Amino acid sequence: MRPQVVTMTESVKFGIAGLSVPQGTHLCGFYWGIDERDEMVFAFLREGLRSGDKCLYATDAIDRPAIQTELNGGADVPSTRQQLDIVSSSDVYLGGGDFSVPEMLNYWDGWAATSRDDGFSSARAVGEMTWAVTEIIGAANLIRYETELNGFVPRYPLVLLCVYDLDKFRGDLLVDIMKTHPRVLMGCTVLENLYYVSHDELVNSRP
Amino acid sequence: MGTAEGTARDEAALREQLASFRPLLALSMVMTGRDEVEILRMATTAVPSLGGCRVEGVYLDDDWQVIGEVDRPVNADSLCGRLAALDASGGPLEVNGAEWAWAYPLANQADMAGHVVVSRDTKPAPHHQFLLSVLVQQAGVALANARLHTRERASLERERDTAARERATADELRAANLALERAVADLARSSAAVQRSLDIHNRLTAAACAGEGQAGIARTVHALTGLPVAIEDRHGNLAAWAGPGQPDPYPKPTTARREQVLQRALEAGGPVRDRGRLIALAQQGHEVLGVIALVDPNRTAGDAERVALEHGNTVLTLELAHLQALGEVELRLRRDLAEELLAGTDAESARDRARALGYDLARPHRVVVVTNGARGVEPEKFFHAVRRAVRATEVGSLLVTRWGRVAVLCDADQDWEQLWGSITAELGPRGSCRIGVGGPCTEPPDFPRSHEQAQLALKMQVETGCPDQITVFEDLGIYRLLSEVANIGSIETFIQRWLGALLCYDATKGAQLVETLSGYLECGGNYDLTAKGLSLHRSTLRYRLQRIRDVSGHDLNDPDTRFNLQLATRAWTTVHAMRHQP
Repeated sequence: MRPQVVTMTESVKFGIAGLSVPQGTHLCGFYWGIDERDEMVFAFLREGLRSGDKCLYATDAIDRPAIQTELNGGADVPSTRQQLDIVSSSDVYLGGGDFSVPEMLNYWDGWAATSRDDGFSSARAVGEMTWAVTEIIGAANLIRYETELNGFVPRYPLVLLCVYDLDKFRGDLLVDIMKTHPRVLMGCTVLENLYYVSHDELVNSRP
Repeated sequence: MGTAEGTARDEAALREQLASFRPLLALSMVMTGRDEVEILRMATTAVPSLGGCRVEGVYLDDDWQVIGEVDRPVNADSLCGRLAALDASGGPLEVNGAEWAWAYPLANQADMAGHVVVSRDTKPAPHHQFLLSVLVQQAGVALANARLHTRERASLERERDTAARERATADELRAANLALERAVADLARSSAAVQRSLDIHNRLTAAACAGEGQAGIARTVHALTGLPVAIEDRHGNLAAWAGPGQPDPYPKPTTARREQVLQRALEAGGPVRDRGRLIALAQQGHEVLGVIALVDPNRTAGDAERVALEHGNTVLTLELAHLQALGEVELRLRRDLAEELLAGTDAESARDRARALGYDLARPHRVVVVTNGARGVEPEKFFHAVRRAVRATEVGSLLVTRWGRVAVLCDADQDWEQLWGSITAELGPRGSCRIGVGGPCTEPPDFPRSHEQAQLALKMQVETGCPDQITVFEDLGIYRLLSEVANIGSIETFIQRWLGALLCYDATKGAQLVETLSGYLECGGNYDLTAKGLSLHRSTLRYRLQRIRDVSGHDLNDPDTRFNLQLATRAWTTVHAMRHQP
């Protein structure tokens, strides 16, 4: 899909903490445990279903039909189209065998194109990142991916939320992601960092 | 040129310092409320992100800790000696293979918890050293908080046992608060959020210590958050409200919905969203004492409001545990007083104890005994039903369980029908009870007598076949006179004179002629009423009456004989009841 060369000033309800964001927003979210994850992810996706967005949830959960029922039931939005996709996070992020930042950007580009072809004017997606704990991709690669998304997502009518389980990840990942992002979610709390730095600045600051 | 390069370096350092500071506050936030291992894991794994440093070891409570990949350092013993010589601000160390190593204190000045030893191949930039000190200080505060919570929980458990320790708990809270204050003081300049957290805690603690109770806590949390605050009991009944928009009437959730919400909050272990509210549970172990809620339909509450709610909840938990402990102790003291009065006690001692409880023993009293008339009601539930009814009808406040019955020390004459109705209502649709009311008592030594009279009234109610109702001792008529005869032997002689043959016949044949005769005479000789009252067929009754005439030789139609027989059967019932009193 060719990126839309438009300025997307349209504000969409994020579904969490009364937050509204412009189309083309990418956020990282952190949670402790499944309940906090569900509270954050379900609120975000339910708002998308209510708003008529194409939604995708890349999850580590095995019982994906149960999530589908929970989300569709909670949204009260019968849909004739396939509005909600629930897929395995390892299929999304490791579909080609290894994690690759360019391949991931291609994936999101293709998914956004399909959503548009299916008649959805906007989309939102959640990527659960726990798979990265067991795969040796390196924290630097992960940070690079997240910072690349900051520049990539604003070109699409898409809101993307990447979520990390604090039980599983180290403190340095949280610090580095907060260093390189203007805004992150901590559970259902929004934390702003006015002084965030670019990924290159972060790498250059390292010894 | 050299100056320009230096300025650029300084700017880059400042930018990274500023960029890193917010993440450190976020780390502090996520460490709050975690256990010690999680706090130390988050802190030690964050170290590499601050200038590429590494953690050599965590020395806590006089021992090296294993935290994730961090193990006991190679030169652990020599490091111990060096750490012992450091003051509260930490200092340099020598670590094998590292040009630079530093011990950062886990800041808690009142009680030095330990150090985190960090090293690097080369000396890190000053701003990285500053950030490392902030990180470890934050971990120290979180650690102090975790220990404070642990101590508070332990204190709450102790509160359950005795209210006398409440004072010690308050002291402990203040001491822990002081320790926390000292620990946070080091961060005050660099961490407005932590300072705010301390302010919140201080204001709430001040409200609790000022005895403003739940209303004071609700007002303080409202003032801190700007959101309406509700404090409810476990069942959803409103205990205190602060802020605008108090619903009237206050909505009460169904039991199932309430339990569902409480269960979710219990599992979450912290504040959870419940529709338009952010709620936290005041709990002791798994027992929910109450709920504090921020009314936030627009979901505007952020981390500051959440922190205020959590602190408010901590103070509320103390308040409710304190109230519960006081209530339990007062109840126990009141039970002890009631027990002693009923058993017979020294008047002066009883008055002293009553005065200490704020109870007016000088008022006239009656002892009322209540028994459970329904099956399937557990004794404890029955006791609490009586207690609630006694409180609702304001007939008294001293009550005690004795021999499976509840004895209530009532303030003089009351509307006993209202009390009976209230108890049966408390017991539910199939609820029923019998009430016996003793004679008046004006002095402490009168209580045992009034208690016996109440029991006798109750017994007479059963012996005479009455349905569940109220029997007042003074209304027992001839039964009362008989019960007060000092020489019970003369009564027994009278009974033998008139009923001896029938009693002997009943004893040898297993018959019920005395009971039949009593029922017949109490019904004024009416066959239909007697048959119905004794659940007998008319012909059976007629047969038994003929046996009574034959065995006793008495003419049941003679007025004098009938009078003496009725007196004898009542005397027999009275003596029987008196002998079978507990």
